[in-house]
Amino acid sequence: MPTLTKNKYLTKQELIEILQNNGEPLASKNIQELAEQAISQHDIPHSKMEEWRKTSLKKLLEHTFRYGKKIDLERHVIERFNISGMYSNLLVFVNGYFVPSLSRLLDSSDIVVFSNMAEARSMFPQVFDKYYNRTEAHKVNLFAALNTRYAADGAFVLIKDNVKVKNPVHIYFFSDGEDQKIISQTRNLIIAGAGSKASVLLSYHPLSTDYMYNNSVTEIFVEHDAYMDFNIFQGEGYDSFHTNLVNVEVERGGQFYSHTISLCGEIMRNDLRVRFNGPEAYAELNGLAMPDHDQVHDNTLFVHHKSGGSISRQFYRNIVDNNARAVFYGKVLIDKGAKKSEAYQLNNNILLTTTAKVHSKPHLIIYNDDVAASHGSTTGQIDREALFYMQARGISEKKARTLLLQAFANEVLNKIQIDTYKFYVKTLIRKRLQGEKVEMLCAKLGQCRFEPDYE
Amino acid sequence: MEPLLKIIDLHATVEGKKILNGINLEIYPGEIHAIMGPNGSGKSTLASVLAGKPGYEVTGGQVYFMGKNLLELKPEERAREGLFLAFQHPVEIPGVTLVNFLKTAVEEIYKHRGLEPPSAAQFLRLLREKKEMLEFDMKIENRSVNEGFSGGEKKKNEMLQLAVLDPKLAILDEIDSGLDVDALREVANGVNKIKNENNAFLLITHYQRLLNYVVPDKVHILYKGQIIMSGDKNLALEVEERGYDWIKNNETV
Repeated sequence: MPTLTKNKYLTKQELIEILQNNGEPLASKNIQELAEQAISQHDIPHSKMEEWRKTSLKKLLEHTFRYGKKIDLERHVIERFNISGMYSNLLVFVNGYFVPSLSRLLDSSDIVVFSNMAEARSMFPQVFDKYYNRTEAHKVNLFAALNTRYAADGAFVLIKDNVKVKNPVHIYFFSDGEDQKIISQTRNLIIAGAGSKASVLLSYHPLSTDYMYNNSVTEIFVEHDAYMDFNIFQGEGYDSFHTNLVNVEVERGGQFYSHTISLCGEIMRNDLRVRFNGPEAYAELNGLAMPDHDQVHDNTLFVHHKSGGSISRQFYRNIVDNNARAVFYGKVLIDKGAKKSEAYQLNNNILLTTTAKVHSKPHLIIYNDDVAASHGSTTGQIDREALFYMQARGISEKKARTLLLQAFANEVLNKIQIDTYKFYVKTLIRKRLQGEKVEMLCAKLGQCRFEPDYE
Repeated sequence: MEPLLKIIDLHATVEGKKILNGINLEIYPGEIHAIMGPNGSGKSTLASVLAGKPGYEVTGGQVYFMGKNLLELKPEERAREGLFLAFQHPVEIPGVTLVNFLKTAVEEIYKHRGLEPPSAAQFLRLLREKKEMLEFDMKIENRSVNEGFSGGEKKKNEMLQLAVLDPKLAILDEIDSGLDVDALREVANGVNKIKNENNAFLLITHYQRLLNYVVPDKVHILYKGQIIMSGDKNLALEVEERGYDWIKNNETV
């Protein structure tokens, strides 16, 4: 284990040493080799790289992490993270380890298969080999390459062809370092069979108090005419880091919806990459981030229209407080042959203080002229005219601000398709905007308050 | 009887520019006052100053509202005390439904008055009753406040809020601007229905036409930030006939 002095940052070699002690890797020997080559080629991301210009990882690299222990949690420990009224298929991971006793399958295994990856590899070797790392995650960045090389478990969801899954699939990722700095590395694979329909939610939560870091990769395959509603809830507390890659491939007529909610982690970096392999495909990428203090929340999107007649929509909003920073980098590439494609990008931001920052870069790269595309970005303060209008009706300034911010957030949140989860998130965000304690957001009680410092 | 509103020698500036230059006005319960004046005379500034809009600096004078020093109160406190401003340009609030917005306002005002805030069902009943009373046939409750409303709907929404919040003094800032004849009549009828012996209205208008439907007790002409002439409803008719130049010329004489 490398030792560090203050203000020394982890080197790539030290990062590798930390991440390699992860048990039996999921990847085949062949993929391990590809990933190792990639690791040797990637640098630790830094500000000279186009997609990392505004997100410094220094705060992450100040810490030495280790893998957490395998812990068999009792059910009551995680009950406070229940989403009221949501009856779902459950997979539970703690520190990256699968906890079968807390997991449950509601829907018949005839229509959906899900398990941990390590088991799926032995039970469905053909499916596993066909899809694992087909999106070449190792090429994206160093973290994804390390994940590809060393990840030892994660969630496996296979929805069979032409099946509509009634209950959402909810995958919990808890971190419990027993007050030590820990890292979890998970690797997920979601396959929506042809003509199928399902909702999936990945949620991340802290159970202990010190720094924690998630390095996750999720590959999603939306087969032809399938419908995948995919959600990520980053409920990590302060002092949490997340480098997260989601790689999606959508086949002919497939529809992919995503909703990424980032609440209060220290550095939340989401790479979401979607590729349209077949025509008439659709993707809608929505997100809300609310960084506070010195946090950085970064959503870097890439949609590749390889095939024509496809539509992509990006809709991200950020509410940025104190000295925090939000990054939206939305890239869309439309190939020469991808005629009649449509791509729309919208990013709206509210800065609550004069020191809050946002970096917004919608970026369209189009190689044919038979497309419809638009991009927009707005950044501003709370609408003063609206504020006064509400005050003139007797509503206090503080309450009026909360209502306006809630409304701003709700326009993204209303796109969430799992009703119970939508209600849960809206309630959490309302509480947070009102400065109430939100215990499920972080393990350290009393630290969970979000008091907007407006003036 | 105490006046509801008493303005004494009010001076105000906007961005350093003097707009109000010594206004005196008293409004008693049960009265309807109209303030008329050419563009730029300070009509809307007076409305904004009374409502407490940021950016308007009072540089002299006093304003008492039911005996309280109005200028010391925050905008929301003025509203809770019973002052209502119908905006000339009602603001769009995306994502906040009218029901949510108005229910919040009612809760705060009731709380201030020491009343039990209405339940959701009671509030919706109140809203429906007021709509029926005003004879407004529009479905705006579950839409975002003013978003995508027509000009007429925006002004009628102001009247509906006025009816629900039941203020002591309502200032209507050019409520007639941008309305066709039918909508104008509907809005004017609303004023007549809401008006009673305990409340008062201050109508700010450029034209006389609203006053065909709402009969004012007093009409004031504002020019260069001062009330230069006051009279009864006939003064409005005279303005209509002779135009503001007549007054301007009068003033320079």
